[in-house]
Amino acid sequence: MFFKTTEQQEALRARIREFAETEVKPLTFLMDKENMFPTEPIKKFGEMGLMGIPYPEEYGGAGLDILSYAIAVEELARVDGGTGVILSAHVSLGSWPIFAYGTEEQKQKYLVPLAKGEKIGAFGLTEPNAGSDAGGTETTAVLEGDHYILNGEKIFITNADKADTYVIFAVTTPDIGVRGISAFIVEKGWEGFTFGDHYDKMGIRSSSTAQLLFNNVKVPKENLLGKEGEGFKIAMSTLDGGRIGIAAQALGIAQGAYEHALEYAKEREQFGKPIAQQQIISFKLADMATKLRAARFLVYSAAELKEHHEPYGMESAMAKQYASDVCLEIVNDALQIFGGNGYLKGMEVERAYRDAKICTIYEGTNEIQRVVIASHIIGKMPKTESGTPVRKRGPVTGARKKMIFKDGTAQDQVNALVEALKGDGYDFTVGIDIDTPITKAERVVSAGKGIGEEKNMELIRALAVQAGAAVGSSRPVAETLKYVPLNRYVGMSGQKFNGNLYIACGISGAGQHLKGIKDAATIVAINNNPNAPIFKNADYGIVGDLMEILPLLTAALDNGEPKQPAPPMKKMKRFVPKKAAPSYKTYVCNGCGYEYDPAVGDEEGDIRPGTLFKDLPEEWICPDCGEEKDMFIEVEA
Amino acid sequence: MYCVRKVTEDLYWVGANDRRLTLFENIHPIPRGVSYNSYLLLDKKTVLFDTVDWSAGRQFIENVEAVLAGRKLDYLVINHMEPDHGASIEEIILRYPEVKIISTEKAFLFMRQFGFSIDGRIEEVKEGDTRCFGKHTVTFVAAPMVHWPEAMVTFDTTNGVLFAADAFGSFGSLDGKLFNDEVNFDRDWIDDARRYYTNIVGKYGPQVQALLKKAGGIDIKMICPLHGPVWRTDLGYFLDKYDKWSRYEPEETGVMIAYASMYGNTEAAANSLATALVERGMTNVVMYDVSKTHVSQLISETFRLSHIVLASVTYNLGIYPVMHNYLMDMKALNLQKRTVAIIENGSWACKSGSLMRDFLENNMKQMTVLDEKVTLSSAMREDNLDEIGALADSIIESMKNK
Repeated sequence: MFFKTTEQQEALRARIREFAETEVKPLTFLMDKENMFPTEPIKKFGEMGLMGIPYPEEYGGAGLDILSYAIAVEELARVDGGTGVILSAHVSLGSWPIFAYGTEEQKQKYLVPLAKGEKIGAFGLTEPNAGSDAGGTETTAVLEGDHYILNGEKIFITNADKADTYVIFAVTTPDIGVRGISAFIVEKGWEGFTFGDHYDKMGIRSSSTAQLLFNNVKVPKENLLGKEGEGFKIAMSTLDGGRIGIAAQALGIAQGAYEHALEYAKEREQFGKPIAQQQIISFKLADMATKLRAARFLVYSAAELKEHHEPYGMESAMAKQYASDVCLEIVNDALQIFGGNGYLKGMEVERAYRDAKICTIYEGTNEIQRVVIASHIIGKMPKTESGTPVRKRGPVTGARKKMIFKDGTAQDQVNALVEALKGDGYDFTVGIDIDTPITKAERVVSAGKGIGEEKNMELIRALAVQAGAAVGSSRPVAETLKYVPLNRYVGMSGQKFNGNLYIACGISGAGQHLKGIKDAATIVAINNNPNAPIFKNADYGIVGDLMEILPLLTAALDNGEPKQPAPPMKKMKRFVPKKAAPSYKTYVCNGCGYEYDPAVGDEEGDIRPGTLFKDLPEEWICPDCGEEKDMFIEVEA
Repeated sequence: MYCVRKVTEDLYWVGANDRRLTLFENIHPIPRGVSYNSYLLLDKKTVLFDTVDWSAGRQFIENVEAVLAGRKLDYLVINHMEPDHGASIEEIILRYPEVKIISTEKAFLFMRQFGFSIDGRIEEVKEGDTRCFGKHTVTFVAAPMVHWPEAMVTFDTTNGVLFAADAFGSFGSLDGKLFNDEVNFDRDWIDDARRYYTNIVGKYGPQVQALLKKAGGIDIKMICPLHGPVWRTDLGYFLDKYDKWSRYEPEETGVMIAYASMYGNTEAAANSLATALVERGMTNVVMYDVSKTHVSQLISETFRLSHIVLASVTYNLGIYPVMHNYLMDMKALNLQKRTVAIIENGSWACKSGSLMRDFLENNMKQMTVLDEKVTLSSAMREDNLDEIGALADSIIESMKNK
């Protein structure tokens, strides 16, 4: 065995290095500063035939090996960590699941343009409540006729919104955990598929990262990737390979920082000689070079294992974990060698220092990598919670519609809100005194700390008049800011609102506040922070600046006449989610009537919750009477 | 003295009525009594289909002897081994030592468990097996968990008679009238038939559905159940009821108000709601005091109607015990697909409403609990009337969505 890359691989490296130095490097400072995606360089890279390096030529790829692909990511990341991850997310995450699990039709339709670089790919697994633990996935796909209807959100998605093709994971069989997840190919531009926040990241700022929002997106049945229920398997095997890409990215970032530090150390003179000749710096450089070599061998050998179809899950986890851990050490040392100069914006080592950190976090945190490695050498750890699956906790305020008006201008959003409220039966020609006690008020407009200066309370009072509501507040607004008397703050320790309409303005939604409004028929949230908990506890919401939204809403509710006295309060209907039969089948025993419920499993028979009846082992018997599996009949809904 | 009736050519009813038993299965009240039906076929061979409870043994033996008129008994077919039909097997064996017993493997297991001496005289049959007794050929059809696992039904392919075991049975003694067309079933029997099905077989809807599917493939002319009238006309009427019950679909759109009231205050709210419903045009409303109504009656009515109102006081920080028992029974009998409204009452810590909602939503299937509820603090007050009205509106509204 001779630990050396081939001539062909090194020729590719030279080609990509030249591309990176000439096409990417001049843009790096601007891209980092402006959060700018390298659209042109990526297009050129595709034209060079390098966006599908490891895929066969018949599918538009370059037909090269995995190691060549790792070298490509490494070389791009050496110049710009963000550009490196664009390639990694595109090849490993966006394209590979289609290559590995797609039908011939899916490959022709989606893999070919991806591999040719005509389209960009992305991968959507992470959600607010499903990070390392995919079992928390809440995005759903419900089969209706020839389409799956996709609903939910994905966060931190690399290459969004630049990508054209997205591999999305969604729950098709609820309540059974990861075995109920399926994978789908979703195209940008489909109705209901939109992008939320673009994240303002610490590093890799040239890569685009955004939130994906699915609102009744119709996904053709034929875009199911693999079979229903295979999503988790597809995601995990994809991430196995994806780790090689991230490991290569970390390696490249570290390599770049190391080269800059080495060069700088040779030039920078102190005490009459280059600092590279000071032992303390030379040792640093020696350690950096050693770590780089060790990381490189780990990365390359994982790539080679994958290329030769040998097990590589543990090795790719080791490569990702080690390369990214030492990457942080190397960029730290590199910046240290640069001293004060390295601390300045515009310096490559400063950017590398920020870019490096993400590598220990994404595509499986390094903690999860260690879980993977440990499970390979020790075996799976026993489940701490056997038996009953964790019951999901809903919002504090109960089931809510959670409709956030995002389309169009602020005026459009306000109009849509007013329309929805009128549709629910709210009559804004009538109203109550704004000083009505909270507990007796049918409607309340409440101010939170987001209201800012005291003079802005005028906006709240104006809105309250037009909404026919009393004025309320959050606890700090009454207690700390003293904008309103103490008896006007709403919450568990304050006044409880049992009326119909609650409009929360600039209230983020602390638990104790939410408990005070859980009986409200309708909750409206207006806040500039889209991630404020209030939105998950509201029926309607507008993300926006109070100074802009409140006057618009006040005007929209103003009918030009004084409000008529409101009739005695009639409690409005609250939103009730449809109670549906579970999507999976249950089976009953013909020997005793015992019902097998996949959500519960059978602890006695060592069957984990989430196991569908068809997946029960043949030797499984009824826990109540001992009859065999073939004595069960399906329960028809 | 014997008391028998001819069912059809070659076939005789040799069962008995029991009007002294107070509680069927020692749990369900039967003020109208119950019949244990047994049928005797006189062919080239003589065949007895099931026996009766031990309490009716004497009448039964007299009936069998009278119809046999000196012939020996060749076969005893046991469709269902529960003691209200199987208890007299031993007596038949003693009197007709050459009799062969035809039944399922599990039924024979149960006979041994109950202590009957059956060795040397059993003929085990499975789904689809046939036997020819001369003119009549019968097919055996497994009916597991309707409502015991050993149960089967026997179909006479010669004359279209189905010996249906406990399926299609009813509480109520026959009083001389054997056939459905000799009684006003929809007026005098359906309530007991429903109470029988829902409480005895209710849990096993999927298995009843499976049996109905099999029955759909054969040309049934007459149904001979083990309790209640024999069906020889209008079979569709009863099959349709069974189909609804076993799919847990209500028979009628209507409201059952089940209330638990200690001093009449919760009852007052229930009255008020009933009135509000009727004023809004929904006249199919019934009210039951859960403390005074046997739970089997509550269950039966719950299966009948689409909407349930549960009105309960809080008791020891929980649901009133009788109401709680009713809920537990609903769950045990697999009741589902109902819309429920809640009235709760409590004088210092009102908990019953949220506890009932939690039980319905988390322990039962496809139960829709209306969001509107009425909360009483000890007693109805003027301002509760609006809530009662809103609850009535909500119930009416939810009927439109169906």
